[in-house]
Amino acid sequence: MRGRPVKQSPELDRVEQNMRPMCLCAEGFLGDDPRRLIEILTEDQGTVNSLGLSHEVIAQRLRGITEEARGGWGDPVVVEEKFEVQVHEARGKIPCPWGHPGLYPKTHVRLKKMETGDGLVWSDLTIHLIEAHGFYQGRGSPYRLDPSTVKRILEL
Amino acid sequence: MGHLFLSLIALSCLGAGLALLLEVADSYLGFYGQCHIDINSGEKEFTIQGGGSLLSTLMEQGIFIPSACGGRGSCGYCKVRIHGGGGPLLPTETPWLGPEEIEAQVRISCQVKVRGDMIIEIPPELFLIREFRSRVEGLRNLTHEIKELRLRLIESDAISFKPGQYVQFQVPEYEGCPESVYRAYSIASAAHESGSITLIVTRVPGGLATTYIHEVLKAGDEVAFSGPYGDFYLRDSDREIFLVATGSGLAPIMSILCQMAEERISRKTTLVFGARHRTDLFYLDEIEALKGKMPGLEAIFTLSRPEEEDQWEGERGRVTDVLERIIKEGANKEAYLCGNPAMVESCVELLTKKGIPEELIFYDKFA
Repeated sequence: MRGRPVKQSPELDRVEQNMRPMCLCAEGFLGDDPRRLIEILTEDQGTVNSLGLSHEVIAQRLRGITEEARGGWGDPVVVEEKFEVQVHEARGKIPCPWGHPGLYPKTHVRLKKMETGDGLVWSDLTIHLIEAHGFYQGRGSPYRLDPSTVKRILEL
Repeated sequence: MGHLFLSLIALSCLGAGLALLLEVADSYLGFYGQCHIDINSGEKEFTIQGGGSLLSTLMEQGIFIPSACGGRGSCGYCKVRIHGGGGPLLPTETPWLGPEEIEAQVRISCQVKVRGDMIIEIPPELFLIREFRSRVEGLRNLTHEIKELRLRLIESDAISFKPGQYVQFQVPEYEGCPESVYRAYSIASAAHESGSITLIVTRVPGGLATTYIHEVLKAGDEVAFSGPYGDFYLRDSDREIFLVATGSGLAPIMSILCQMAEERISRKTTLVFGARHRTDLFYLDEIEALKGKMPGLEAIFTLSRPEEEDQWEGERGRVTDVLERIIKEGANKEAYLCGNPAMVESCVELLTKKGIPEELIFYDKFA
């Protein structure tokens, strides 16, 4: 059941504009998701609440795994004897679409759960967007992290 | 009811009229006329039609400011100092600038629009950067994920660069990449081969440029690049040299080695090249050939995870393990590092601990 439409602020309109493809990055952040940014944020917030999690907990888990895998210098690393994780780092940095000060390395973190073969993909900016903005990206975005999937794979 | 309908029609017409008025106004007000640009106190001056970004305006005049994103404001590389006419600092620039840079009037040139006369300052070496047209002379796989790309300059053109520097490769529009993008790659070839350059490109999952180079580009295709860029190059001294690379980080190191061989630089030099498996190593024959020309060169290859089928009898472990073993103290030594950022950070930490001053550790860490 859908609730009443939520009005999006001009500030979020501007952020949504920054998230379009070829603005800050080639693919953008919204994928083929037809929802407005405020709807994506609201629905994912609801999912995170219903899972008994918080954005901070999810972000900290992703950050911890990233930092451990970074020691592999680009090679796959086994983390917690459960996950095979590889961190690719490309030249350049990327800003937050909300305009926060600071730049994020162009990382591409690929995790595979060895037991099931399930996988997740994220970047340093992904972690910031979750932690600071509760934004898990639009459906179809290469770096979309569905909170339920993250909970299941990372055993949160 | 009729009144309501008429009111709606009138409001719609008013809205459409205002929109049209705004379009017309923009086409007039957006015309900035002739603008005079003064670079480095008269070192170069020109008058152009205003309205474009400063980055693209300079590019049209043959002045290439380093930019990894092609002017979309996502890399923060295209910094210039604007002493007059830049307008207020924009929110799209602030993430890239520190307080000292803001104080020094540094701006992100792709975000600054040319709206009037401007006085700007750029490093003089940027005048040497040019755009080149080239044809793909050869493509070959060096490993399962690294490809070598050889580009021959068109119309007998020549590029002058310092070994260790990089170029900005222009990826044209192709299926999956709706707009042209630029990516930086170090030159792997010798500087004296000025009619061509060699690049080494590691495939990045989902990468626009690397997918193009690995899967779309073929021999005979025409491509463009600009350069040379960067301050990673061999310093003139008599110090012992350590060259450290992993993966495609070997590219600028190879160029430096070629320069040393060509100029008969006899400084004691150790190359440490690290990979995961035997199949990840490349340019072994080329390095062997360089050793023949450089009596002072020692090359150490090390594998972090050799497999049984590798039948590897060489060094095992990471490049840092090798450096730890071979460097006793840091006096009269300097180091050049290129590769994964985490590798570079670990090496810098180790080398400074060994006593090599940080200012004598030069690196290009893809970041």
